[in-house]
Amino acid sequence: MTKPFIPVGIVCSQSGHYQAMGREILKSALMAVDEINGAADFDFSIAAHVRDPRGIIAEYHTVCDDLIRNVGVEHIVGCYTSSSRKQVLPIVERTDRLLWYPARYEGFECSDNVIYVGASPNHNVLPLVRYVLDNLSREFFCVGSNYVWTWETNRVTRELVSSAGGHILAERLLELGEGAVEHIVDEIVRKRPPIVFNTLVGSSSYDFIRAFHAATEAAGLDIPMLSCSLCEPELAIVGPASAGCITSSAYFESIRLPENRAFVARWKARYGDDSSPSVDGQSAYVAVYLLARALQRAGTSNIGEVRRAAAGHRYNSPQGPVWIDGSNNHCVLTPRLAVSNPHRQFDIFWEADAPVKPDPYLTQLDVAASPSRETPTSETSPNAPHLRVVK
Amino acid sequence: MSKPSSFSLRGRKALVAVKDERDTWIVKRQFERLGVDSIAWTLSETIDFVPDVALIDDEFLPLARPAQRVFHGRCPVIALLGTETPSRLKLVLDLDPASFLVKPLRSAGIYAALVMAFERNERTSELKQQVAKLEQRLRSRRIVLAAVLQVMHSHSLAEPAAFALIRRSAMEQRKTIEELSAEITARGSLPRATG
Repeated sequence: MTKPFIPVGIVCSQSGHYQAMGREILKSALMAVDEINGAADFDFSIAAHVRDPRGIIAEYHTVCDDLIRNVGVEHIVGCYTSSSRKQVLPIVERTDRLLWYPARYEGFECSDNVIYVGASPNHNVLPLVRYVLDNLSREFFCVGSNYVWTWETNRVTRELVSSAGGHILAERLLELGEGAVEHIVDEIVRKRPPIVFNTLVGSSSYDFIRAFHAATEAAGLDIPMLSCSLCEPELAIVGPASAGCITSSAYFESIRLPENRAFVARWKARYGDDSSPSVDGQSAYVAVYLLARALQRAGTSNIGEVRRAAAGHRYNSPQGPVWIDGSNNHCVLTPRLAVSNPHRQFDIFWEADAPVKPDPYLTQLDVAASPSRETPTSETSPNAPHLRVVK
Repeated sequence: MSKPSSFSLRGRKALVAVKDERDTWIVKRQFERLGVDSIAWTLSETIDFVPDVALIDDEFLPLARPAQRVFHGRCPVIALLGTETPSRLKLVLDLDPASFLVKPLRSAGIYAALVMAFERNERTSELKQQVAKLEQRLRSRRIVLAAVLQVMHSHSLAEPAAFALIRRSAMEQRKTIEELSAEITARGSLPRATG
Protein backbone atom coordinates (compact mmCIF):
# COMPACT_ATOMS: atom_id res chain seq x y z
CA MET A 1 0.00 0.00 0.00
CA THR A 2 1.32 3.47 -0.87
CA LYS A 3 1.89 5.71 2.10
CA PRO A 4 0.18 9.10 2.08
CA PHE A 5 2.47 12.09 1.42
CA ILE A 6 2.79 15.01 3.80
CA PRO A 7 4.15 18.11 2.03
CA VAL A 8 7.06 19.82 3.84
CA GLY A 9 8.81 22.98 2.67
CA ILE A 10 12.61 23.14 2.75
CA VAL A 11 13.91 26.70 2.48
CA CYS A 12 17.65 27.31 2.21
CA SER A 13 19.75 29.52 -0.02
CA GLN A 14 21.86 27.73 -2.62
CA SER A 15 23.62 30.93 -3.69
CA GLY A 16 24.65 34.18 -1.99
CA HIS A 17 27.08 34.90 0.87
CA TYR A 18 26.22 31.85 2.96
CA GLN A 19 25.46 29.43 0.13
CA ALA A 20 27.86 26.84 1.55
CA MET A 21 25.80 26.51 4.72
CA GLY A 22 22.54 26.58 2.77
CA ARG A 23 23.76 23.66 0.67
CA GLU A 24 24.78 21.71 3.78
CA ILE A 25 21.33 22.26 5.30
CA LEU A 26 19.65 21.08 2.11
CA LYS A 27 21.87 17.99 1.77
CA SER A 28 21.19 16.91 5.36
CA ALA A 29 17.47 17.65 5.23
CA LEU A 30 17.05 15.63 2.02
CA MET A 31 19.07 12.77 3.47
CA ALA A 32 16.69 12.67 6.46
CA VAL A 33 13.65 12.82 4.14
CA ASP A 34 14.92 9.89 2.09
CA GLU A 35 15.69 7.83 5.21
CA ILE A 36 12.25 8.52 6.68
CA ASN A 37 10.52 7.71 3.40
CA GLY A 38 12.36 4.40 3.25
CA ALA A 39 11.70 3.44 6.87
CA ALA A 40 8.89 1.20 8.05
CA ASP A 41 8.63 3.21 11.29
CA PHE A 42 6.60 5.95 9.61
CA ASP A 43 3.15 5.41 8.13
CA PHE A 44 3.54 8.41 5.81
CA SER A 45 6.10 9.80 3.38
CA ILE A 46 7.43 13.33 3.29
CA ALA A 47 7.09 15.23 0.01
CA ALA A 48 9.95 17.72 0.16
CA HIS A 49 9.29 21.02 -1.65
CA VAL A 50 12.64 22.77 -1.89
CA ARG A 51 12.83 26.53 -2.37
CA ASP A 52 15.98 28.65 -2.89
CA PRO A 53 15.76 32.29 -1.73
CA ARG A 54 19.29 32.83 -3.18
CA GLY A 55 20.47 34.67 -0.08
CA ILE A 56 18.06 37.55 -0.83
CA ILE A 57 16.23 38.46 2.35
CA ALA A 58 12.92 39.50 0.72
CA GLU A 59 12.84 36.20 -1.17
CA TYR A 60 12.35 34.24 2.06
CA HIS A 61 8.91 35.74 2.52
CA THR A 62 8.06 35.15 -1.14
CA VAL A 63 9.04 31.48 -1.20
CA CYS A 64 7.28 30.74 2.10
CA ASP A 65 4.15 32.50 0.86
CA ASP A 66 4.27 30.25 -2.22
CA LEU A 67 4.79 27.11 -0.13
CA ILE A 68 1.89 27.95 2.17
CA ARG A 69 -0.60 29.29 -0.39
CA ASN A 70 0.13 27.15 -3.44
CA VAL A 71 1.61 23.92 -2.05
CA GLY A 72 -0.33 23.90 1.21
CA VAL A 73 2.56 23.03 3.53
CA GLU A 74 2.01 23.26 7.27
CA HIS A 75 5.66 22.68 8.14
CA ILE A 76 8.77 24.39 6.79
CA VAL A 77 12.34 23.38 7.63
CA GLY A 78 14.99 25.98 6.95
CA CYS A 79 16.43 29.49 7.19
CA TYR A 80 20.02 30.05 8.29
CA THR A 81 20.51 33.67 9.34
CA SER A 82 18.35 35.43 11.93
CA SER A 83 17.36 38.06 9.40
CA SER A 84 15.91 35.35 7.15
CA ARG A 85 14.02 33.81 10.09
CA LYS A 86 12.61 37.24 10.98
CA GLN A 87 11.32 37.54 7.40
CA VAL A 88 9.50 34.22 7.64
CA LEU A 89 8.13 34.78 11.16
CA PRO A 90 5.17 37.08 10.25
CA ILE A 91 3.85 34.74 7.58
CA VAL A 92 4.10 31.53 9.65
CA GLU A 93 2.47 33.30 12.61
CA ARG A 94 -0.31 34.83 10.50
CA THR A 95 -1.13 31.53 8.76
CA ASP A 96 -0.39 29.38 11.84
CA ARG A 97 2.33 27.23 10.27
CA LEU A 98 5.41 25.79 11.96
CA LEU A 99 8.99 26.71 11.02
CA TRP A 100 11.63 24.15 12.08
CA TYR A 101 14.72 26.37 12.37
CA PRO A 102 17.99 24.39 12.40
CA ALA A 103 20.65 27.08 13.00
CA ARG A 104 22.17 28.13 16.31
CA TYR A 105 21.14 31.70 17.00
CA GLU A 106 21.45 34.59 19.46
CA GLY A 107 18.19 33.94 21.39
CA PHE A 108 15.69 36.49 22.73
CA GLU A 109 12.82 35.11 20.68
CA CYS A 110 10.16 32.53 21.43
CA SER A 111 7.45 32.17 18.82
CA ASP A 112 4.74 29.52 19.06
CA ASN A 113 5.23 29.02 15.32
CA VAL A 114 8.92 28.16 15.44
CA ILE A 115 10.73 25.09 16.76
CA TYR A 116 14.29 26.21 17.47
CA VAL A 117 16.38 23.08 16.88
CA GLY A 118 19.83 24.72 16.93
CA ALA A 119 21.80 25.88 19.95
CA SER A 120 20.59 28.72 22.21
CA PRO A 121 23.09 31.33 23.49
CA ASN A 122 23.62 29.42 26.74
CA HIS A 123 24.70 26.42 24.64
CA ASN A 124 27.37 28.13 22.55
CA VAL A 125 28.59 31.59 23.60
CA LEU A 126 28.56 31.00 27.34
CA PRO A 127 30.70 27.84 27.54
CA LEU A 128 33.20 29.28 25.07
CA VAL A 129 33.71 32.63 26.80
CA ARG A 130 33.74 30.99 30.25
CA TYR A 131 36.43 28.57 29.07
CA VAL A 132 38.61 31.34 27.66
CA LEU A 133 38.21 33.50 30.78
CA ASP A 134 39.15 30.57 33.01
CA ASN A 135 42.04 29.26 30.93
CA LEU A 136 43.40 31.68 28.35
CA SER A 137 42.75 35.38 28.62
CA ARG A 138 40.56 38.20 29.90
CA GLU A 139 41.21 40.42 26.89
CA PHE A 140 39.26 39.85 23.67
CA PHE A 141 39.50 41.34 20.20
CA CYS A 142 36.09 40.85 18.51
CA VAL A 143 35.50 40.81 14.76
CA GLY A 144 32.13 39.94 13.26
CA SER A 145 29.51 40.46 10.60
CA ASN A 146 27.38 43.55 11.12
CA TYR A 147 24.09 41.91 12.06
CA VAL A 148 22.13 40.66 15.05
CA TRP A 149 24.15 37.45 15.66
CA THR A 150 27.36 39.42 16.18
CA TRP A 151 25.72 42.28 18.07
CA GLU A 152 24.18 40.00 20.67
CA THR A 153 27.16 37.62 20.91
CA ASN A 154 29.43 40.62 21.50
CA ARG A 155 27.01 42.03 24.09
CA VAL A 156 27.05 38.78 26.11
CA THR A 157 30.82 38.47 25.70
CA ARG A 158 31.34 42.04 26.88
CA GLU A 159 29.19 41.47 30.00
CA LEU A 160 31.03 38.26 30.92
CA VAL A 161 34.47 39.70 30.20
CA SER A 162 33.84 42.98 32.05
CA SER A 163 32.41 41.12 35.02
CA ALA A 164 35.59 39.00 35.17
CA GLY A 165 37.69 42.19 35.23
CA GLY A 166 38.75 41.84 31.60
CA HIS A 167 38.49 44.10 28.56
CA ILE A 168 37.16 44.06 25.03
CA LEU A 169 40.16 45.51 23.21
CA ALA A 170 38.23 46.18 20.00
CA GLU A 171 34.95 45.38 18.30
CA ARG A 172 35.23 45.46 14.50
CA LEU A 173 32.25 44.85 12.21
CA LEU A 174 32.09 44.04 8.49
CA GLU A 175 29.02 44.06 6.28
CA LEU A 176 27.74 40.59 5.30
CA GLY A 177 29.78 39.31 2.38
CA GLU A 178 32.51 41.98 2.78
CA GLY A 179 35.88 40.58 1.78
CA ALA A 180 38.16 43.54 2.55
CA VAL A 181 39.58 42.30 5.84
CA GLU A 182 43.21 43.47 5.62
CA HIS A 183 42.76 46.61 7.76
CA ILE A 184 41.41 44.50 10.63
CA VAL A 185 44.16 41.91 10.28
CA ASP A 186 46.75 44.74 10.27
CA GLU A 187 45.24 46.12 13.46
CA ILE A 188 45.38 42.68 15.10
CA VAL A 189 49.05 42.26 14.19
CA ARG A 190 49.76 45.75 15.52
CA LYS A 191 47.83 45.33 18.79
CA ARG A 192 48.72 41.67 19.38
CA PRO A 193 45.58 40.75 21.37
CA PRO A 194 45.75 37.49 23.34
CA ILE A 195 42.46 36.25 21.76
CA VAL A 196 40.47 36.98 18.60
CA PHE A 197 36.73 36.16 18.69
CA ASN A 198 35.46 35.66 15.12
CA THR A 199 31.69 35.98 14.61
CA LEU A 200 31.94 36.64 10.87
CA VAL A 201 29.75 34.44 8.70
CA GLY A 202 30.21 32.93 5.26
CA SER A 203 32.76 34.22 2.79
CA SER A 204 33.84 37.12 5.05
CA SER A 205 34.89 34.60 7.66
CA TYR A 206 36.84 32.48 5.18
CA ASP A 207 38.69 35.55 3.82
CA PHE A 208 39.43 36.74 7.34
CA ILE A 209 40.74 33.39 8.62
CA ARG A 210 43.12 33.05 5.64
CA ALA A 211 44.42 36.63 5.95
CA PHE A 212 44.69 36.35 9.73
CA HIS A 213 46.65 33.11 9.50
CA ALA A 214 49.06 34.48 6.88
CA ALA A 215 49.67 37.76 8.74
CA THR A 216 50.12 36.28 12.21
CA GLU A 217 52.42 33.57 10.86
CA ALA A 218 54.53 36.18 9.06
CA ALA A 219 54.72 38.24 12.27
CA GLY A 220 55.62 35.18 14.36
CA LEU A 221 52.44 35.54 16.45
CA ASP A 222 50.39 32.74 17.96
CA ILE A 223 46.95 34.21 18.65
CA PRO A 224 44.13 31.73 19.28
CA MET A 225 40.90 32.37 17.38
CA LEU A 226 37.42 31.60 18.74
CA SER A 227 34.26 30.74 16.86
CA CYS A 228 30.69 29.69 17.61
CA SER A 229 29.91 28.70 14.03
CA LEU A 230 32.90 27.18 12.25
CA CYS A 231 32.19 23.65 10.95
CA GLU A 232 33.94 20.87 9.02
CA PRO A 233 32.84 21.85 5.47
CA GLU A 234 34.13 25.36 6.19
CA LEU A 235 37.49 23.98 7.33
CA ALA A 236 37.72 22.39 3.88
CA ILE A 237 36.78 25.67 2.16
CA VAL A 238 39.28 27.75 4.16
CA GLY A 239 42.10 25.23 3.83
CA PRO A 240 45.14 24.77 6.13
CA ALA A 241 44.67 28.25 7.67
CA SER A 242 41.61 26.96 9.51
CA ALA A 243 43.57 24.78 11.95
CA GLY A 244 43.73 25.81 15.61
CA CYS A 245 40.37 27.54 15.95
CA ILE A 246 38.65 26.96 19.32
CA THR A 247 35.03 26.32 18.45
CA SER A 248 31.83 25.95 20.44
CA SER A 249 29.16 23.73 18.93
CA ALA A 250 26.59 21.05 19.72
CA TYR A 251 27.83 18.91 16.84
CA PHE A 252 31.20 17.82 15.49
CA GLU A 253 31.82 14.98 13.06
CA SER A 254 34.25 13.54 15.60
CA ILE A 255 31.60 12.86 18.29
CA ARG A 256 32.15 9.31 19.47
CA LEU A 257 28.61 8.03 19.65
CA PRO A 258 27.28 5.01 17.75
CA GLU A 259 24.43 7.15 16.34
CA ASN A 260 26.98 9.62 14.97
CA ARG A 261 29.28 6.95 13.53
CA ALA A 262 26.31 5.46 11.66
CA PHE A 263 25.17 8.93 10.54
CA VAL A 264 28.63 9.86 9.23
CA ALA A 265 28.91 6.52 7.42
CA ARG A 266 25.54 7.08 5.70
CA TRP A 267 26.56 10.68 4.90
CA LYS A 268 29.82 9.63 3.27
CA ALA A 269 28.11 6.83 1.35
CA ARG A 270 25.71 9.41 -0.05
CA TYR A 271 27.91 12.47 -0.57
CA GLY A 272 31.41 11.00 -0.86
CA ASP A 273 34.26 10.07 1.48
CA ASP A 274 35.76 13.52 1.12
CA SER A 275 32.69 15.37 2.40
CA SER A 276 31.70 16.07 6.00
CA PRO A 277 28.41 16.90 7.68
CA SER A 278 28.17 20.31 9.39
CA VAL A 279 26.57 21.44 12.64
CA ASP A 280 23.74 23.30 10.91
CA GLY A 281 23.31 20.48 8.39
CA GLN A 282 23.16 17.87 11.12
CA SER A 283 20.70 20.12 12.91
CA ALA A 284 18.50 20.22 9.79
CA TYR A 285 18.69 16.40 9.74
CA VAL A 286 17.62 16.38 13.41
CA ALA A 287 14.84 18.89 12.65
CA VAL A 288 13.36 16.67 9.92
CA TYR A 289 13.52 13.65 12.23
CA LEU A 290 11.95 15.54 15.14
CA LEU A 291 9.19 16.70 12.77
CA ALA A 292 8.61 13.19 11.36
CA ARG A 293 8.53 11.59 14.80
CA ALA A 294 6.11 14.25 16.04
CA LEU A 295 3.91 13.76 12.95
CA GLN A 296 3.89 10.02 13.62
CA ARG A 297 3.00 10.47 17.29
CA ALA A 298 0.37 13.12 16.59
CA GLY A 299 -1.25 11.20 13.74
CA THR A 300 -1.97 14.51 12.05
CA SER A 301 0.01 17.40 10.54
CA ASN A 302 -2.00 19.96 12.54
CA ILE A 303 0.64 22.20 14.03
CA GLY A 304 -0.79 22.39 17.54
CA GLU A 305 -0.91 18.60 17.79
CA VAL A 306 2.55 18.22 16.24
CA ARG A 307 4.05 20.81 18.59
CA ARG A 308 2.59 19.01 21.61
CA ALA A 309 3.82 15.65 20.28
CA ALA A 310 7.34 17.05 19.78
CA ALA A 311 7.66 18.47 23.31
CA GLY A 312 9.76 16.36 25.63
CA HIS A 313 10.10 13.52 23.14
CA ARG A 314 13.69 12.30 23.34
CA TYR A 315 15.53 11.44 20.14
CA ASN A 316 18.98 9.83 20.15
CA SER A 317 20.37 11.90 17.31
CA PRO A 318 23.92 11.95 15.86
CA GLN A 319 24.82 14.73 18.31
CA GLY A 320 23.42 12.73 21.25
CA PRO A 321 20.05 12.84 22.99
CA VAL A 322 17.95 15.89 22.13
CA TRP A 323 14.37 16.92 22.84
CA ILE A 324 12.20 20.00 22.56
CA ASP A 325 11.57 21.93 25.75
CA GLY A 326 7.80 22.45 25.64
CA SER A 327 8.01 25.62 27.73
CA ASN A 328 9.93 27.57 25.10
CA ASN A 329 10.06 25.47 21.86
CA HIS A 330 13.87 25.34 21.96
CA CYS A 331 16.03 22.24 21.87
CA VAL A 332 17.70 20.61 24.87
CA LEU A 333 21.17 19.59 23.69
CA THR A 334 24.77 19.04 24.74
CA PRO A 335 27.29 21.90 24.34
CA ARG A 336 30.83 21.00 23.30
CA LEU A 337 34.17 22.77 22.78
CA ALA A 338 36.76 21.62 20.27
CA VAL A 339 39.81 22.83 18.40
CA SER A 340 40.15 22.46 14.64
CA ASN A 341 43.04 20.31 13.43
CA PRO A 342 44.98 20.26 10.12
CA HIS A 343 42.91 17.26 8.94
CA ARG A 344 39.73 19.37 8.55
CA GLN A 345 38.29 17.89 11.73
CA PHE A 346 37.74 19.03 15.31
CA ASP A 347 39.35 17.55 18.42
CA ILE A 348 36.70 17.76 21.15
CA PHE A 349 38.23 18.64 24.51
CA TRP A 350 35.18 19.49 26.67
CA GLU A 351 31.51 18.70 26.73
CA ALA A 352 28.67 19.24 29.20
CA ASP A 353 28.07 16.16 31.32
CA ALA A 354 24.37 16.06 30.34
CA PRO A 355 22.06 17.76 27.84
CA VAL A 356 21.48 21.37 28.85
CA LYS A 357 18.09 23.06 29.00
CA PRO A 358 17.82 25.95 26.52
CA ASP A 359 17.78 29.43 28.04
CA PRO A 360 16.91 31.68 25.07
CA TYR A 361 16.52 34.80 27.25
CA LEU A 362 19.59 33.99 29.38
CA THR A 363 17.46 34.32 32.49
CA GLN A 364 19.73 31.92 34.38
CA LEU A 365 22.88 33.84 33.49
CA ASP A 366 24.63 35.46 36.40
CA VAL A 367 27.52 37.32 34.80
CA ALA A 368 29.32 37.69 38.10
CA ALA A 369 29.08 34.00 38.94
CA SER A 370 31.36 31.18 38.00
CA PRO A 371 29.58 28.52 35.89
CA SER A 372 29.08 26.31 38.93
CA ARG A 373 27.08 29.05 40.65
CA GLU A 374 24.62 29.50 37.83
CA THR A 375 21.12 28.27 38.62
CA PRO A 376 20.85 24.58 37.80
CA THR A 377 18.06 23.33 35.57
CA SER A 378 15.58 20.74 36.74
CA GLU A 379 15.11 18.71 33.55
CA THR A 380 18.77 18.09 33.07
CA SER A 381 21.76 17.30 35.19
CA PRO A 382 22.10 19.63 38.21
CA ASN A 383 25.68 20.04 37.08
CA ALA A 384 24.72 20.84 33.54
CA PRO A 385 26.79 24.04 33.24
CA HIS A 386 29.91 22.14 34.29
CA LEU A 387 32.11 20.92 31.53
CA ARG A 388 34.06 17.71 31.51
CA VAL A 389 37.12 16.71 29.58
CA VAL A 390 36.48 14.36 26.67
CA LYS A 391 39.26 11.88 26.08
CA MET B 1 24.72 46.53 46.48
CA SER B 2 24.60 47.27 42.77
CA LYS B 3 21.22 47.80 41.12
CA PRO B 4 19.96 44.97 38.93
CA SER B 5 20.38 45.47 35.21
CA SER B 6 17.19 46.33 33.33
CA PHE B 7 17.97 43.37 31.07
CA SER B 8 17.99 40.91 33.95
CA LEU B 9 14.44 39.97 34.90
CA ARG B 10 14.87 36.82 36.98
CA GLY B 11 13.14 37.05 40.36
CA ARG B 12 11.23 40.28 39.63
CA LYS B 13 7.61 40.42 40.84
CA ALA B 14 4.90 41.57 38.44
CA LEU B 15 1.36 42.54 39.27
CA VAL B 16 -0.76 41.42 36.33
CA ALA B 17 -4.24 42.79 35.71
CA VAL B 18 -5.30 41.41 32.33
CA LYS B 19 -8.92 40.76 31.39
CA ASP B 20 -8.79 38.37 28.46
CA GLU B 21 -7.97 34.75 29.31
CA ARG B 22 -5.78 34.16 26.29
CA ASP B 23 -3.77 37.33 26.92
CA THR B 24 -3.41 36.31 30.58
CA TRP B 25 -2.08 32.92 29.52
CA ILE B 26 0.42 34.45 27.08
CA VAL B 27 1.71 36.87 29.75
CA LYS B 28 1.98 34.11 32.35
CA ARG B 29 3.85 31.76 30.01
CA GLN B 30 6.25 34.43 28.74
CA PHE B 31 6.92 35.66 32.29
CA GLU B 32 7.78 32.08 33.31
CA ARG B 33 10.26 31.90 30.43
CA LEU B 34 11.81 35.17 31.58
CA GLY B 35 11.99 34.15 35.25
CA VAL B 36 9.46 36.82 36.30
CA ASP B 37 6.99 35.95 39.10
CA SER B 38 3.53 37.03 38.00
CA ILE B 39 0.76 37.70 40.49
CA ALA B 40 -2.69 37.88 38.90
CA TRP B 41 -4.78 40.78 40.17
CA THR B 42 -8.48 41.35 39.59
CA LEU B 43 -8.40 44.82 41.20
CA SER B 44 -10.72 43.72 43.97
CA GLU B 45 -8.03 42.19 46.22
CA THR B 46 -5.81 44.23 48.50
CA ILE B 47 -2.15 44.26 47.51
CA ASP B 48 0.13 43.56 50.46
CA PHE B 49 3.46 43.80 48.64
CA VAL B 50 5.28 46.27 46.40
CA PRO B 51 5.55 44.85 42.90
CA ASP B 52 8.57 45.51 40.68
CA VAL B 53 6.28 46.21 37.74
CA ALA B 54 2.52 46.39 37.08
CA LEU B 55 0.84 45.27 33.88
CA ILE B 56 -2.54 46.99 33.59
CA ASP B 57 -5.15 46.23 30.93
CA ASP B 58 -6.83 49.40 29.63
CA GLU B 59 -10.18 47.67 30.04
CA PHE B 60 -9.84 48.14 33.79
CA LEU B 61 -9.43 51.91 33.49
CA PRO B 62 -10.11 54.25 35.13
CA LEU B 63 -8.89 52.92 38.48
CA ALA B 64 -11.51 54.65 40.59
CA ARG B 65 -10.78 53.44 44.12
CA PRO B 66 -7.55 54.56 45.88
CA ALA B 67 -6.82 50.90 46.77
CA GLN B 68 -6.62 50.16 43.07
CA ARG B 69 -3.93 52.79 42.60
CA VAL B 70 -1.75 51.57 45.44
CA PHE B 71 1.07 50.53 43.06
CA HIS B 72 1.00 53.90 41.34
CA GLY B 73 4.25 55.80 41.70
CA ARG B 74 5.88 52.83 43.43
CA CYS B 75 6.74 50.74 40.39
CA PRO B 76 6.79 51.15 36.59
CA VAL B 77 3.53 50.50 34.79
CA ILE B 78 3.10 48.72 31.45
CA ALA B 79 -0.21 49.58 29.82
CA LEU B 80 -2.04 46.99 27.69
CA LEU B 81 -3.77 48.83 24.88
CA GLY B 82 -6.88 47.43 23.27
CA THR B 83 -7.69 50.55 21.31
CA GLU B 84 -5.78 53.64 20.26
CA THR B 85 -8.67 56.07 20.62
CA PRO B 86 -7.66 59.35 22.32
CA SER B 87 -10.30 58.87 25.05
CA ARG B 88 -8.75 55.55 26.07
CA LEU B 89 -5.19 56.85 25.70
CA LYS B 90 -6.06 59.73 28.03
CA LEU B 91 -6.99 57.21 30.73
CA VAL B 92 -3.83 55.23 30.04
CA LEU B 93 -1.70 58.38 30.34
CA ASP B 94 -3.12 58.94 33.84
CA LEU B 95 -1.20 55.80 34.81
CA ASP B 96 2.02 57.45 33.58
CA PRO B 97 3.03 54.21 31.83
CA ALA B 98 6.72 53.49 31.36
CA SER B 99 5.97 51.16 28.46
CA PHE B 100 3.05 49.58 26.62
CA LEU B 101 1.89 46.48 24.75
CA VAL B 102 -0.85 46.16 22.16
CA LYS B 103 -3.56 43.50 22.37
CA PRO B 104 -3.97 40.77 21.24
CA LEU B 105 -0.71 39.85 22.88
CA ARG B 106 2.00 37.61 21.45
CA SER B 107 5.17 36.50 23.16
CA ALA B 108 7.29 38.84 21.00
CA GLY B 109 7.44 42.30 22.54
CA ILE B 110 6.88 41.37 26.18
CA TYR B 111 10.58 41.17 27.04
CA ALA B 112 11.24 44.51 25.32
CA ALA B 113 8.29 46.15 27.12
CA LEU B 114 9.60 44.96 30.49
CA VAL B 115 13.18 46.07 29.82
CA MET B 116 12.00 49.47 28.62
CA ALA B 117 9.74 49.88 31.65
CA PHE B 118 12.55 49.10 34.10
CA GLU B 119 15.03 51.27 32.24
CA ARG B 120 12.56 54.16 31.91
CA ASN B 121 11.76 53.90 35.61
CA GLU B 122 15.45 53.88 36.52
CA ARG B 123 16.21 56.91 34.36
CA THR B 124 13.15 58.79 35.62
CA SER B 125 14.07 58.22 39.26
CA GLU B 126 17.65 59.39 38.52
CA LEU B 127 16.22 62.52 36.90
CA LYS B 128 13.89 63.10 39.87
CA GLN B 129 16.83 62.85 42.28
CA GLN B 130 18.82 65.25 40.15
CA VAL B 131 15.92 67.73 40.01
CA ALA B 132 15.45 67.54 43.79
CA LYS B 133 19.16 68.20 44.30
CA LEU B 134 19.11 71.16 41.94
CA GLU B 135 15.99 72.58 43.58
CA GLN B 136 17.67 72.34 46.97
CA ARG B 137 20.73 74.15 45.63
CA LEU B 138 18.53 76.78 44.04
CA ARG B 139 16.77 77.39 47.37
CA SER B 140 20.08 77.73 49.19
CA ARG B 141 21.40 80.28 46.65
CA ARG B 142 19.56 83.01 48.57
CA ILE B 143 21.36 82.01 51.78
CA VAL B 144 24.74 81.91 50.00
CA LEU B 145 24.09 85.37 48.55
CA ALA B 146 23.15 86.70 52.00
CA ALA B 147 26.32 85.19 53.50
CA VAL B 148 28.51 86.67 50.75
CA LEU B 149 27.02 90.14 51.36
CA GLN B 150 27.63 89.74 55.09
CA VAL B 151 31.29 88.74 54.61
CA MET B 152 31.80 91.56 52.06
CA HIS B 153 30.55 94.00 54.67
CA SER B 154 32.33 92.55 57.74
CA HIS B 155 35.69 91.94 55.99
CA SER B 156 35.59 94.83 53.52
CA LEU B 157 36.02 92.47 50.59
CA ALA B 158 34.82 92.49 47.01
CA GLU B 159 32.25 89.80 46.04
CA PRO B 160 34.70 87.32 44.41
CA ALA B 161 37.06 87.48 47.39
CA ALA B 162 34.19 87.10 49.88
CA PHE B 163 32.90 84.03 48.04
CA ALA B 164 36.44 82.58 47.84
CA LEU B 165 36.82 83.05 51.60
CA ILE B 166 33.53 81.25 52.29
CA ARG B 167 34.47 78.44 49.97
CA ARG B 168 37.92 78.02 51.55
CA SER B 169 36.43 78.08 55.07
CA ALA B 170 33.80 75.51 54.04
CA MET B 171 36.52 73.22 52.72
CA GLU B 172 38.60 73.63 55.88
CA GLN B 173 35.58 72.82 58.05
CA ARG B 174 34.46 69.99 55.76
CA LYS B 175 31.07 71.56 55.18
CA THR B 176 29.17 72.48 52.06
CA ILE B 177 29.10 76.14 51.03
CA GLU B 178 25.36 76.10 51.67
CA GLU B 179 25.79 74.77 55.24
CA LEU B 180 28.45 77.33 56.11
CA SER B 181 26.40 80.12 54.55
CA ALA B 182 23.46 79.17 56.77
CA GLU B 183 25.77 79.43 59.83
CA ILE B 184 27.13 82.82 58.70
CA THR B 185 23.66 84.28 58.25
CA ALA B 186 22.56 82.83 61.62
CA ARG B 187 25.63 84.07 63.57
CA GLY B 188 26.19 87.29 61.70
CA SER B 189 29.87 86.47 61.17
CA LEU B 190 32.19 83.91 59.63
CA PRO B 191 32.66 81.05 62.12
CA ARG B 192 36.24 80.13 62.94
CA ALA B 193 37.52 76.73 62.07
CA THR B 194 37.92 74.43 65.04
CA GLY B 195 40.62 71.86 65.62
